[in-house]
Amino acid sequence: MNQVIVHPERCVGCMQCMAACATAHSRTRQLFSAIRETPLPRSRIHLGTGLYAEGFPNRCRHCNPAPCMLACLPGAIHRDMQTETVYVDPDRCINCASCAMACPFGVIRYHEDASAPPKKAVAIKCDNCMERQQQERVPACVEVCKSGALTFEDNSKALKRKTDQVAQSISAGIDVPQGSPSFTLLNTIKRAQIAVRHAAV
Amino acid sequence: MNYVIIGNGIAGVSAAEAIRQLDGSCGIFMISNESVEPYCRPMISLVLEGTVSASKLPIRGSSFYQSLNITPVLGSRVARMDVDAKILFLSDGKTLPFDTLLIASGADPRPVKAPADLANIFFMRNQHQVLKMLEALPRTRHALVLGGGLVGFKAACGLLHRGIDVTMLIRSGYPLSLQVDEIAGGMILSELTRRGLNVRVGTEVTAFKGINTVTGALLSDGSEICCDLVIIGKGVLPAVSFVPRDRIQVDQGIVVDNHLETTCPGIFAAGDVVESMDIARKTRWVNAIWPEAATQGRIAGMNMAGRAVVYKGSLSRNVIRIFDLDILAVGWVNAPDDPRFTVLSEHNQCLNTYRRLVFEGDSLIGATLVNRIETGGILTAMIQNEIPVRASKEKLLEPHLSLKSLMF
Ligand SMILES: Cc1cc2nc3c(=O)[nH]c(=O)nc-3n(C[C@H](O)[C@H](O)[C@H](O)COP(=O)(O)OP(=O)(O)OC[C@H]3O[C@@H](n4cnc5c(N)ncnc54)[C@H](O)[C@@H]3O)c2cc1C
Ligand code: SF4
Ligand code: SF4
Repeated sequence: MNQVIVHPERCVGCMQCMAACATAHSRTRQLFSAIRETPLPRSRIHLGTGLYAEGFPNRCRHCNPAPCMLACLPGAIHRDMQTETVYVDPDRCINCASCAMACPFGVIRYHEDASAPPKKAVAIKCDNCMERQQQERVPACVEVCKSGALTFEDNSKALKRKTDQVAQSISAGIDVPQGSPSFTLLNTIKRAQIAVRHAAV
Repeated sequence: MNYVIIGNGIAGVSAAEAIRQLDGSCGIFMISNESVEPYCRPMISLVLEGTVSASKLPIRGSSFYQSLNITPVLGSRVARMDVDAKILFLSDGKTLPFDTLLIASGADPRPVKAPADLANIFFMRNQHQVLKMLEALPRTRHALVLGGGLVGFKAACGLLHRGIDVTMLIRSGYPLSLQVDEIAGGMILSELTRRGLNVRVGTEVTAFKGINTVTGALLSDGSEICCDLVIIGKGVLPAVSFVPRDRIQVDQGIVVDNHLETTCPGIFAAGDVVESMDIARKTRWVNAIWPEAATQGRIAGMNMAGRAVVYKGSLSRNVIRIFDLDILAVGWVNAPDDPRFTVLSEHNQCLNTYRRLVFEGDSLIGATLVNRIETGGILTAMIQNEIPVRASKEKLLEPHLSLKSLMF
């Protein structure tokens, strides 16, 4: 089963994924018309960008067991076993934000949405783009990410790749660059800028 | 093997599901005096408010008992138990033997001192009570809410929402004093008064007035107040009347070990009835909240069915949403003035946000957030997992808090 995997070290903070996500969850599915919809479509992937674009694409991990599911008062959150997707049912959700305290990644937002009954604010989070997946398309954020910070692949394969990298770095005794040299350079610059900012404060 | 569960609240339901998952063939009996199907207790306040109909309350389908092959024993109370003979005695005279028992009887509302036997004086703990309130609402002009805890507060909000005139009597200076600190409490109070709530601090009811139905109340400051509906929300007490205290240790609630087993082997407890180790306070505490009841039920169920699972301890946490204000409080928010604890806070009047964090050494042990609460789960996880804060503590105050900002 393919899943969206985040590689934060490759994120350049361009926020394309947010626009793509909001569009994919709009009523019209077109960026041009989506920006004129009410309620305004909002992204389910969140980029905690700072002054120096230290991007971190943050989205629902579809945890198992999912803490949000245990905390939900009316039982509005459930797991689709087949796709390993944790869903919020907008009809059942009472917007109590009990799940806000439960999600250790802080990825749930509360607002009106095209998928919810009109005028009703509900808990909104990543749904793995199920609609697109049914049409055999990859999730919108992955499609649009050009730096490879978001990939759609089998979790175990991605894990193996990471493990290999770590193993290599241990045996070689050196820090293996996790992305291309330019990403490493970019990240080093960002870290330096942040360090300078903190030193200045 | 006969599993018996006292209580069909979320703790009992979660336990039954866990047991059935691990053991397909055992007998499971669930006893409750409430004969409706399992429902979302916190949502009864939304029924009072009128935003949710009672038909939306059930949390599992109507085939819950049947599909899990559970024998429901509904409509009577457990009156007494014999832990040696392993028998429960019900209020209707029936008896029920058990091999392994779960006490998930929840909590009862704390009574008031004044005699409260007139009509239209209500507690708010179950669906039945709220449906009775709805019957009284058309004739209600002035409501009186006793207590500013979670339930009293929700009752007051619900009635205000319906346009009913509400007076709330509280002991401390602001509502929800157990859940939030003074500044957040003040923000709540001003929002509520702005919406028309009358709050009277430091007085309580000494007697109710009325012939058959309540028409007023006498207060301890000598004044008198007119009301045609009273809701008592002065907190809850663990429902332990049937528990033999000489055999099962009960302090504030039923004392359990880290497998949620009571001091009597083979008898477990979960939910509002339990006193467990509080992660932030590092002492035993009753944290009567839904997510804790669900988690405890699940873990107790697994332990009962023979899979040893450790319960990490409980943590108080609440989200309160009133009109335009969101409040999230987690852990020990009111830790005493003591050099052991450091407090960081930030009150942004422009954004109308407030954040207050309590640390013990390097560990976060409490947090109060007013507005911008989305990332509260990150703080909750830090408290729950006792992760020492190595990054600068000020970073945690930022409303844009993200995991990345903690990593850099
Ligand atoms: C109005 C209201 C609002 C709330 N809002 C929130 C909220 O926003 N967030 C939150 O986290 N929590 C909230 N709570 C608390 C939450 O509802 C409880 O923590 C949770 O329901 C506890 O579940 P439980 O299974 O332990 O107990 P309960 O749900 O109380 O279930 C126990 C059951 O056992 C039955 N029982 C008791 N004694 C006996 C006996 N001797 N024999 C047979 N049956 C018995 C009871 O009738 C009951 O049906 C709220 C509670 C109320 C009343
Ligand atoms: S919302 Fe948060 S807790 Fe729930 S599955 Fe997603 S990441 Fe996990
Ligand atoms: S906000 Fe909605 S999804 Fe979240 S816990 Fe409440 S009801 Fe469940």
